[in-house]
Amino acid sequence: MNLIDRTAYATPLRKLDPAYKAGFSLLVLILCLALNRPLVGVVAAAWMWILSIWWAQLPASLIRKVLLAEGIFLALSVAGVAVNIRFYPFFFGITADGLDSALLLFTRALGCASAMNFLALTTPLVDLLDLGRRLRLAPLLLDLMTLIYRFIFTLFESMERMRTAQDARLGYSGFWRGMSSAGELAARLFVDAYQRSARVQIALEGRGYAGDLRVLPAEYRRDRRVFALAAIVTLSMFFVWSL
Amino acid sequence: MCLLELVDIHFSYPGHERNALHGVSLHFPPGDRVALIGRNGSGKSTLMLHCNGILFPQQGEVRLGGVTVTSDRASLTNLRRHVGLVLQDPDDQLFSASVAQDISFGPLNLGLSTSEARARVDEAAALCDVTHLLNRPTHALSGGEKTRVALAGVLAMQPSILVADELINSLDPWARQQIFTILDRLVKSGKTVMLATHDMDVAFGWAERVVWMDEGKIYFDGSAVEAQLLFESENPAFAGHVPPRL
Repeated sequence: MNLIDRTAYATPLRKLDPAYKAGFSLLVLILCLALNRPLVGVVAAAWMWILSIWWAQLPASLIRKVLLAEGIFLALSVAGVAVNIRFYPFFFGITADGLDSALLLFTRALGCASAMNFLALTTPLVDLLDLGRRLRLAPLLLDLMTLIYRFIFTLFESMERMRTAQDARLGYSGFWRGMSSAGELAARLFVDAYQRSARVQIALEGRGYAGDLRVLPAEYRRDRRVFALAAIVTLSMFFVWSL
Repeated sequence: MCLLELVDIHFSYPGHERNALHGVSLHFPPGDRVALIGRNGSGKSTLMLHCNGILFPQQGEVRLGGVTVTSDRASLTNLRRHVGLVLQDPDDQLFSASVAQDISFGPLNLGLSTSEARARVDEAAALCDVTHLLNRPTHALSGGEKTRVALAGVLAMQPSILVADELINSLDPWARQQIFTILDRLVKSGKTVMLATHDMDVAFGWAERVVWMDEGKIYFDGSAVEAQLLFESENPAFAGHVPPRL
């Protein structure tokens, strides 16, 4: 999560309006779902790869690792679709239909995942929350997301400190001792989170909290070339679909 | 003219027999530089929470500009506009993922427009030397940066009195010095700063007035020089120690 966050903050696309990035990713995702050909998913993944490296200037190694992990996961998931089992008469094997379905499912899912990767790796969550406010999503939901996102990191830091303190006193010197320490850590972390929530409430009230977390909207760059890019990607996906 | 007065405050937490505050009376004239000292559990934090209206006295009253503060929204907003509270751990205070958005929270709650709030954010960020951090995520800041951002979040509300609970405890000497520079600017501009601390160098070297609490009562309220003499008479090991100029 830290890596995704750091990458999203470092990319030159960070300041591009998240509505453009989300719209673009959503368009690719919808096209992958709507255009029913395996090559469409491949083209979508290829476009997202190119744009991630050339436009968003993300490290190629990172994109490769993410896509590889997702690809392996998807391949294992669709293997069940390719394999056909029948009991009367008994058949166990791979049919052409099964293979086609698995390939379509795999490429479609990979295309969609690539579009979401692009969004996640170029848009920090704070910008997505900002977009949610502009789209008038429920304030309570957005406030909860804001606090959860912020306190994931704080909770991680607390957990690291507690784990180090346990480790320094041989808390993880054996399997059962480790299990016991991990259980105690989880319980203590819960108490810590509860106490922190009370302190956060005090801090918010001290600054005039009146029921919703009102903050300034962020300022973004708007680049109309995104529309041209979206048109090119759409046309190329329609072209391979029509082949 | 005292902006904030605490008059004969009594308070005990639910389920606790002992009073956390027992007949505490204090006044804060403008431009005062106050250190709040005392043992753990002496009532310092409880006193600070009363100053900002987070807690209400069970007996006695808090007055702002001579007017008694009540629990209605308008009265509380007015109190919080004038008295800013900074907590000990900045991670308790920074709720937003973005520094600029976090600082803007207070001004927007005061009902300011977006442009006014933006101006307040820029001003507070400049005062606390965090302008270069405005676009950074709060979780990526160092301890000193987090403290300065938390301070900026409160100063953006332009309070007349700043109440800070052990603000500098976990900071390195360089970060501490930055905080003292900010606090000095505030005092010079006529604001009152009350800093709760366990660091006697801060109490006797930085403050002009020391409020010493013990078991929920004001044990001493006077000049830092007198407070130091009293402290040394009770703790001979500290006798002759010259606090640094902060």
